Amino acid sequence: MLIDYLPIVVMAVLAGVFAVGSLMASSMLRPNRPNPVKLSAYECGNDPVRLPSGERFSVKFYLVAMLFIIFDIETIFLFPWAVSFRSLGLFGLVEMAVFIGLVFVAYVYIWRKGGFDWSAGEIAPNEADEVVERERALFTRSEQEVAKPPDVNEWQGAGRAG
Amino acid sequence: MTGIDWVLLVGRVILVFVALLISVLLYIWMERKVIADFQTRTGPMRAGPRGVLVTFADGLKLFFKESISPTNADRPVYLLAPIIATIPAFLAFSVIPFGAPVVIFGRTVPLQLADLNIGVLWVLAMTSIGVYAVVLAGWSSGSNYPLLGAVRSTAQMVSYEVAMSLALVAVIMFSGHLKMSEIVAQQDKVWNVIPQFPAFVVYLICALAEVNRPPFDLAEAESELVAGFHTEYSGIRFALFYLGEYVNTVTVSAIAVTLFLGGWRGWWPFHGAAAWLGPVLWFVLKVTAVIYVYILVRGTLPRMRYDRLMNFGWKYLIPFGLFWVLATGAIVVLPDRYGHRRGAFMAVGIIVAVWLVMSLVKQLLESPRPAPASREGLAT
Amino acid sequence: MPLDNIVFWVFAPISIASAIGMLLVRNAVHAALFLIVNFFCLAVFYLLLDAPFLFAVQIVVYAGAIMVLFLFVIMLLGVDSGVPIHERLLVQRPLAFLLGAAFVVEMFLAIRAGVGFATKAPAVFTANEGGNTQAVAKILFTQYFFPFEVTSVLLLVAAIAAMVLAHRKARTVTQAEIDAAAGEPDTEEMPVYGAEAAP
Repeated sequence: MLIDYLPIVVMAVLAGVFAVGSLMASSMLRPNRPNPVKLSAYECGNDPVRLPSGERFSVKFYLVAMLFIIFDIETIFLFPWAVSFRSLGLFGLVEMAVFIGLVFVAYVYIWRKGGFDWSAGEIAPNEADEVVERERALFTRSEQEVAKPPDVNEWQGAGRAG
Repeated sequence: MTGIDWVLLVGRVILVFVALLISVLLYIWMERKVIADFQTRTGPMRAGPRGVLVTFADGLKLFFKESISPTNADRPVYLLAPIIATIPAFLAFSVIPFGAPVVIFGRTVPLQLADLNIGVLWVLAMTSIGVYAVVLAGWSSGSNYPLLGAVRSTAQMVSYEVAMSLALVAVIMFSGHLKMSEIVAQQDKVWNVIPQFPAFVVYLICALAEVNRPPFDLAEAESELVAGFHTEYSGIRFALFYLGEYVNTVTVSAIAVTLFLGGWRGWWPFHGAAAWLGPVLWFVLKVTAVIYVYILVRGTLPRMRYDRLMNFGWKYLIPFGLFWVLATGAIVVLPDRYGHRRGAFMAVGIIVAVWLVMSLVKQLLESPRPAPASREGLAT
Repeated sequence: MPLDNIVFWVFAPISIASAIGMLLVRNAVHAALFLIVNFFCLAVFYLLLDAPFLFAVQIVVYAGAIMVLFLFVIMLLGVDSGVPIHERLLVQRPLAFLLGAAFVVEMFLAIRAGVGFATKAPAVFTANEGGNTQAVAKILFTQYFFPFEVTSVLLLVAAIAAMVLAHRKARTVTQAEIDAAAGEPDTEEMPVYGAEAAP
């Protein structure tokens, strides 16, 4: 029983030794000439700027992580059912259909509420046209303003106004 | 356990480990050659005959390259991430049977490292550990692009993991076992790919997304995120990520072969001493075929847009996976009064599989809706 | 020494050390990593108790799914917000002591009642004939089918709660806001990289 896992332990040790060993061997053999510029975070040549702390990311990512847990638990319940649903027969099938059906209600709810919508940024589809119009108006107006000699600070400010 | 048992055990592990390393070298070379063919280039030609040693040379070069640790990096976690990328990749392969059992020194040795009772679940467990390499690499680099890339690929991997589990559940329902060897044994007459064709399609798509291969390589969309979660890794540390990624590709292909394409089964004329060779060759051939399909997909399809990727995962693959699980259950369990079971299976399966592939193509090729003019428009 | 004992004595210290490590380290991500190690040890203990299915579930669900959510929250919410944590947790501290004590008592009573300090429940071996996963299925889908169905309601509630908490409705941007944003130049300076660092 437990002995079945012995090859896996051996494999884990071997892979671990390989990974750590190659990291260490390389660190002894390779050149090491750091300088502050080389060690700075990659930012296309600018000084690295940390993303502002606080709410940095679309809340969608949390939502995906949470929904993932819910559906992951659902599939985990499916595995024991899958190996023995033949012996459970019709009762097992109905039982699982009810289970999946209830979670599916949640699925439909999330879909209707737009939880799966990634398109068009944060703009709801029915508002898209309105936003396009507004942006277009903004764009034409600003073009006249930008016509004056460009000032670097203002140029950046306008570009990053979102 | 006697000494000989230990020798056989350790020998098998080393054999599989080395075989995986060599297969990664060869598959990377094959990928570069095939892609080069698509683009009417020659591809690597210098190292070895027709450039076959190119990956080895690349690895050697990376080994001797300077490895940079960014000043902002969280060093212990930063060094841990490539190790985590490597180990689960090798462990996931451990449950896959790559040949019929052979007799050595009077012992029957299965050509499989560990035939676990929870076989398929073990693979899922290792997949979910593999996600950590991405998360930790992105976070510990202390840089923006890796963080963004890591968040993206994690969301992608977990989304497609659900659909992949559903495809696996359907196969397990059909064969009634979690053990890999039993699943291979059950396919002695018909490969699972025929009755479970939709699950096969779902699995292939999800496996691509799971190992971050094109067209799902959003994490390393170089025009947006440089190299994604491993932007700050160089030298041997990057090589370990790369190795883990390709071992994972081999593993998901081997799982596709084991669960859907009959495993190591195949026609072989020889008996006696050379009998063991046939199944191993068949296994290698089938895995190569699946990887070739992946390379074809890479050479053909454009990279997917992130919103469509998530849309496709959540709105198509998951509900379809649930539907197919219930359909499999219904077809197997409900009384087969007229003997139409197999026909119903195939008809339903093929229809939905075609629908699924069509919707993927639609997601990939549909012309975009006119997007709101971007704010950046002001600057130009 | 039987194999079970060796494995137990290897993993028991690791699990305790990782639990203590999780409490002591300052960095939230490091703490989460220790917790993952702890979950993994727990999974191995399930394996020792002849429950390989729970072993897999422990890794897939806890180490895999739930910790990913944890890491997401820690990574993205900006742990370096600067407010010392003990200033925000005044009420929680006595409450934590209370709940901790209650938990210890509960564990003691449960173990006492359950196995009476015996090392192994004897029924496991007979129940596991024909595979642990099958055994779980047999009990879960017949004897405990009602709790199983209720679990789906739990998942339903969780999904709705996640939506309500996390999903913000698309907000309409007003013209005034756009004007305000476009009108004020961003005063933050973008430094030119490498000007003084170049050799």
